[in-house]
Amino acid sequence: MGRENPAEKALIHLRSRLCDPNFIFRPLCESSDSNYSKLKFLVSSSITEACNNSILLLGPRGSGKIAVLDLVISDLLQEYPDTITVIRLSGLLHSDENCALKEISRQLCTEHQLLFSKMASFDENSQFLIAMLRECGLAHKTIIFVLDEFDLFALGKQRLLYNLLDALQSVTSQAVVIGVSCRLDADQLLEKRVISRFSNRKLLFLPPSKEDVQRLLEHILFLPADSGLPTDYVVEFNAKLKNILADESYKEIINTYLNIDSTVKDFLRYLFRAVSSMDLESGMLSLENFKTALSNIQRHPKLESIKDCSILELYILICMKRLEVKEHNSYNFTTVMKEYKSVHDSFQTSDYYAKNVCLRAFEHLLQRGLIDFTDNRGQNQSVEYRPVKLLISFHQLHQGLKSYRSCPAILQKIMDREK
Amino acid sequence: MVKEESPQITRRTTRSSALAKCPNNVVEETNASSQPPPTLDDLVLGEEGESFSFDDLVSSFPGRQSQIKELVNLLGPQNSPMLPIFMYGGTSTGKTSILLQTFRHLKRPFVYSSCLTCYNPRILFESILNQLILHRKNAENGYSSAKRCERPSDFVNFVREALVSIIGKLQGQKSGKLSSKRSGKANGNMIYLIFDNLERVRGWDKGSTVLPLLLNLYDTLKMPELGLIFVSNTSPDTYDSNMGYVESNPIYFPDYTDDDLGQILMRNQANKKLYTSFLSVVLRPFSRITRRVDELSTAFSLLFRKYCEPVTDLRVVPNEEMKRRLFSHFQPHIAPALNEVFKVSQPCTEVEARERKQKGRTRKSGGYDVVDQLDFHMSTSAKYLLISAFLASRNPATLDASLFDSTGGSNNRKRKRKVSEKSMEQKETAEQELLMKGPGTFPIERLLAIFQCITSVAEDPLDDEEQAQDGLGIQDGHGGLMSDVLLQLTSLCGANFVVKGGSCPLEGSTRYRSTVSEDMALQVARSIKFPLSKYLYRR
Repeated sequence: MGRENPAEKALIHLRSRLCDPNFIFRPLCESSDSNYSKLKFLVSSSITEACNNSILLLGPRGSGKIAVLDLVISDLLQEYPDTITVIRLSGLLHSDENCALKEISRQLCTEHQLLFSKMASFDENSQFLIAMLRECGLAHKTIIFVLDEFDLFALGKQRLLYNLLDALQSVTSQAVVIGVSCRLDADQLLEKRVISRFSNRKLLFLPPSKEDVQRLLEHILFLPADSGLPTDYVVEFNAKLKNILADESYKEIINTYLNIDSTVKDFLRYLFRAVSSMDLESGMLSLENFKTALSNIQRHPKLESIKDCSILELYILICMKRLEVKEHNSYNFTTVMKEYKSVHDSFQTSDYYAKNVCLRAFEHLLQRGLIDFTDNRGQNQSVEYRPVKLLISFHQLHQGLKSYRSCPAILQKIMDREK
Repeated sequence: MVKEESPQITRRTTRSSALAKCPNNVVEETNASSQPPPTLDDLVLGEEGESFSFDDLVSSFPGRQSQIKELVNLLGPQNSPMLPIFMYGGTSTGKTSILLQTFRHLKRPFVYSSCLTCYNPRILFESILNQLILHRKNAENGYSSAKRCERPSDFVNFVREALVSIIGKLQGQKSGKLSSKRSGKANGNMIYLIFDNLERVRGWDKGSTVLPLLLNLYDTLKMPELGLIFVSNTSPDTYDSNMGYVESNPIYFPDYTDDDLGQILMRNQANKKLYTSFLSVVLRPFSRITRRVDELSTAFSLLFRKYCEPVTDLRVVPNEEMKRRLFSHFQPHIAPALNEVFKVSQPCTEVEARERKQKGRTRKSGGYDVVDQLDFHMSTSAKYLLISAFLASRNPATLDASLFDSTGGSNNRKRKRKVSEKSMEQKETAEQELLMKGPGTFPIERLLAIFQCITSVAEDPLDDEEQAQDGLGIQDGHGGLMSDVLLQLTSLCGANFVVKGGSCPLEGSTRYRSTVSEDMALQVARSIKFPLSKYLYRR
């Protein structure tokens, strides 16, 4: 354990970089019109001017909203020590007001070394919050409320949002409410009484541009000279990497990936996959790594499930397809079995099995998620009679059959006839 | 479900019991109450000092090399942070066992919880916390959990606390190792949380909130020392919660190919040569039906016994001639066995039954061959009730009068009407509808009426069914039956032969539906010599 070889060390180094959002988003924040500087300006001005503020950070999932916010907060904590209290709530966990207020008081208590009572009621907690806001305002301390998954707080009566924003209307308080959501219409969800108390500031997080991605790549993948790794290794690694990055086919791979997934988080996931398959013997990243990572991360789950099916399960799928072509708008296992029998009668297939065997195959299909019940009604009906539907398209089934290792010719024939 | 565990370990240590981490010998030696308190070592699978190399790992799972390699790569070298992993693939493709054995190989601490055994959020949360806090339920603490935790928000707080403390311990252990050679066998300071059977969560009451919580847990906790691994039967695209989340790294476990299946089934077989010749006969036809190891191995274990019947010495190495002989003996069993691959209960196949039937025919002339079928331990009146429920479900209510008229039998007058094109069409759609709707529902009054009709037929000595009903005892007449019948009905409901449906909105009374298949109904009818087919309306 003591003497790791440089390759392993480099790998660990790269992996910890990829898992550390602070490191990733730092270079994207440098320019003056980045979201980072806008957000920082807003929050720091409300700290220095002792006013209340509210803002929404909107953008697709994985575009680094929270990461940028964390950067801003950690920088501000260094700039203004002892004047900021950060309260973090998540809509996933605290969408219920009671729970949310409890969590707010808990975090306030731990922050200010107060005794938190689990038994405190909703009313007491909300009074505590208002008192704390006033006290902090008088002491010129700012409370930053971070509401992750903001759209979930907007479900129901929005009492928490109202209480919070209403408390900010007083002159004495000094707080910032930052909502983070992946719904771009999050502000439309708010009630009138809430939205009137909300400053309509929004920051939009967009997917990174091509140049940004390139910068990100270099920022992440090149090993630093001062990381304790042997210098000749670092030089060789970086030179090799430079070659790869300049390669045309590499650029193509990255472009295909970005055409599908373009948020930063997804891109990181892809890089992580590529980096983790690095060969420890040579200690170098290769083009091959990036290629396999692409194929490993872009899965076609439905096609895979079709390939996993046994022949009997394929028969059932095809029978269901035939029923759909015949415009039976709803069907269940018994009708499928009838179709199966007629297929058998007209094609004289060698695969004709008893009903209970087919039923089991049918259940396998349900488990695989290739078919599903059309509704949740009729729970007490047995499986045979509950109406089902196919979850794959004609095209997918056809594709799946084509790539099936040893698909019986007869199945292909039945399929082609349906066209 | 786990078939391909490595030979070194017993079956009991594969799944959840791998987490009841006390080695078996400890349990035997010491009393349960005096177990040593759990330590960090209990989060690591495998004995101390044992070496379980990567090659051992790969060789114990045939056909899974690329997946194992990918998993090990993604887990990375010691102390390297990782993004969440999502392992998926069909049932019995070795996901869980490979994962657990990989951890045995790596000797890293992990917390395993299956959403199958932890069947609601509270149990899941508490089981994770118990393992993290190194708390063991025993008589002293009244088998209670370390923390009471029901809400996701509490869970996140508790889990963060627990993780911080355990990571601290792991790091402390590592630094202390140099000085005092502590017994710690855990490698590195990463801790991994494994969620098995994640697809179950979708069916939970609160699944729609728990699922995004789990899938977003990595981003919520933001701890680089935490590794998350999800194991699921179904692919990531089936988790379409309206919440959304950033996907994790997928690792796909495809179903085994025929060759892999052969290799897996060959494991732990005493006579490999004999088994190979057996597999060459059965594997191909069976793998057309299912490629699941668990189902195949149960089906094959019985068949193999059949296959070996002519062989006296089980250690014999079969030659070509013997293979042919065995095959010719075995061949008639294959086709019927294919049609009952999934039957669990009865080891005797249809072939045997047929053989016995042929033998029995000399003794007893035909017809009555329910002897070796399963016998229904039901009272006669319950059987009648079952049949009447079946009739009520199958026959249209309008026909009751003509079927159970005192004159008996059905009149065919109606059906002899001229068949027009349109009525044919109607008939077809009606048939379609019948297939869709399944057995019909009926109110209890109709059931009782039919019941009384058929029992009275059975009693009536003047009826033409007299001979067949000979020796049957429905002694009590109409009067005494009623209370019993209601009791019987509830017991039939309990046995799931008859299910209670929703109440009809117009009539308001509860409606019933019989779930018995026609074969079984006929069998029951035969056992009480009731001419069921006569009363069944065929469309």
